[in-house]
Amino acid sequence: MIVENTQTQMRKGILEYCILSIIAKGETYASDIIAELKKAQLLVVEGTLYPLLTRLKNNGLLTYNWVESVSGPPRKYYVLSDEGRNVLEQLDKTWQELVYAVQTAIGDRK
Amino acid sequence: MNKTIIININGIVFHIEEDAYDVLKLYMTDVKRHFSTSADSLEITTDIENRIAEMFNEILASQSKQVIVEQDVKLVIEQMGSVEDFESAESDTKAPGSSSYTYNTERRRLFRDPDDHLVSGVAAGIANYFDIPAVWIRLAFVIFLCVAGSGFFLYVILWMVIPKALSRADRMAMKGEKQDLKGFKKSFEEELSSVKENPHNFQHEARPFVYKTRDFIGDFFDHLGVFLKGAGSLLGKIIAGGILLGCFGLAITLIVVVIMFLAFGKTDIYHIFPFNIVNHNTNLVFIAGGFLLLAIPLTAIILLIIGFLFRNASFNRSVGTTLLCVWLAALGAVVYYGVRASVDFREGARLNTTINIKAPANNTYYLQLNDAKYLSNEDSTRLRIKERFNGMVILDDDFNGNDEMDGPNRVSIDIEKSDVQQPVLVESFTARGRDYEDALTNTKNITYRFIQKDSILKFDRHLERTSGTLWRGQDLHLTLKVPLNSKLVIDPKLDVNIGFNPYDCQEKNKPLNPLGARYIMKENGIDCDIPPVPQATIDSLRRQEVADSLKNANQQ
Repeated sequence: MIVENTQTQMRKGILEYCILSIIAKGETYASDIIAELKKAQLLVVEGTLYPLLTRLKNNGLLTYNWVESVSGPPRKYYVLSDEGRNVLEQLDKTWQELVYAVQTAIGDRK
Repeated sequence: MNKTIIININGIVFHIEEDAYDVLKLYMTDVKRHFSTSADSLEITTDIENRIAEMFNEILASQSKQVIVEQDVKLVIEQMGSVEDFESAESDTKAPGSSSYTYNTERRRLFRDPDDHLVSGVAAGIANYFDIPAVWIRLAFVIFLCVAGSGFFLYVILWMVIPKALSRADRMAMKGEKQDLKGFKKSFEEELSSVKENPHNFQHEARPFVYKTRDFIGDFFDHLGVFLKGAGSLLGKIIAGGILLGCFGLAITLIVVVIMFLAFGKTDIYHIFPFNIVNHNTNLVFIAGGFLLLAIPLTAIILLIIGFLFRNASFNRSVGTTLLCVWLAALGAVVYYGVRASVDFREGARLNTTINIKAPANNTYYLQLNDAKYLSNEDSTRLRIKERFNGMVILDDDFNGNDEMDGPNRVSIDIEKSDVQQPVLVESFTARGRDYEDALTNTKNITYRFIQKDSILKFDRHLERTSGTLWRGQDLHLTLKVPLNSKLVIDPKLDVNIGFNPYDCQEKNKPLNPLGARYIMKENGIDCDIPPVPQATIDSLRRQEVADSLKNANQQ
């Protein structure tokens, strides 16, 4: 149980960073984000993504455009705002530091 | 062939099978409830709905069909994730895997259980709702059956109002199982295993009579239900309407009674018997508690009937639970204060005082009822006695035991033979209280007026409590001890207080004494003073006999 808990915590910590990174590549639709996150085993179900996206949008990191769809209601395509870009750059730095810190820690062990 | 429903998800129309719709609706209700605390609830649920609509479209297009079936909904829900998945993703401590064991914590819905029914599945449905064995609910119904048959009426009403679990989704909602693929798998497996074991057939063999009766009654009520629901539903509605009107009538009566109680305030009713046991504040608790105890079941019945009449059979769970809690709280309060009030009666105390009576000159005591009404200063000012009734005597007119209104403030009188020449009146006050001291204080707070005027002894009809003293079983026993051969004339109006009937004795007294029945104290106690009948002498009897025989002889 402790293992699962830690794994969840770790995944959760980087989830928003990953979402921002995926969206940074260009206009993205929610199900595309899910597909990538599923590949990385960060998220399992789509439903959990919508609250996250809404929160990021309300914090001013994201905006979205409505795009007509052939197979249903109009879709929301998400893009990063300028603030989102700034945040992402800071997170990039933090991530590099984390990678370094973790690798140092692991390196000693191996 | 299956019935389909047309639904609209944010402007897009779908044909969906009924079972599939049930599952989808439950899922969306759960999702909406889950996000209802969030500020962005509308946006999130709209996003999810849009995505579901899109997935439906994709499924329909890829399989080139027109109707969404249960399987499709399950797929979509699996992809979207259940509310539990959302929770585990949001909470910090719960790992995703840990939640899959909590099947039975899902929200339950009230249905009649068609799989485990003895009559119509009401009891089993309620048992499922509260997740307890059905036998307890059945037992409760049987017990309430003994309370004026209320269990029967309650059962019939519930039968009418609670819908039967028809689809598998209904059954799962009834048992609180998760509405996703896992849940479906579980329910499906259960169904399979139950078919294999055939428990119903087994029970049919084991208890044929019960089940035949049940099936017969079930058929009867089913047909009755069909009859009522069909063209003949008018009759059912008239009956339900009648019950509804009756309930409304009771409710209005209840409200009027409570308002009357409250409007009387601290004046009148608090001197009437059951209300003078406890103080005013506690009385308010009793009135409010009693009101709730009666009003809540009444409201529930009214709501259920309205639900039946207007085909709106959903009984809101939170309202129901709240009402139940309030009802239980009221019950608790009434029981608590009832117990507390009864504690005030735990100990008893007795206080005896002896009053010496001046022996009257002719050794005759006149016992009379003092029916003059005594008014306190306050009352006489309020009623302006001096201006309006100056010089008149106001009589206490609550005869015929009307003083029961003021609680049984009993006064009883015994008349005994005194061993000494000094006549005495022993006043023995008793009262109850929380402890002995309290009880003794209560006996001291009793006042009683006894007046001797020469040979006339005047007794009040009842004792009085000092104002502010509550009814605590105050009781007064008077013992009048008079020496041997004393004569007593007892006013028949005293008959409620003495142990014998002066009217009978007054009848025997010749000549009648207008002041009452004459008694005399004899060696073995008090006795009616019957004047000696003039005795016929033996001589006169003989003379009569001789005369008769002579007459007979002459005739022969």
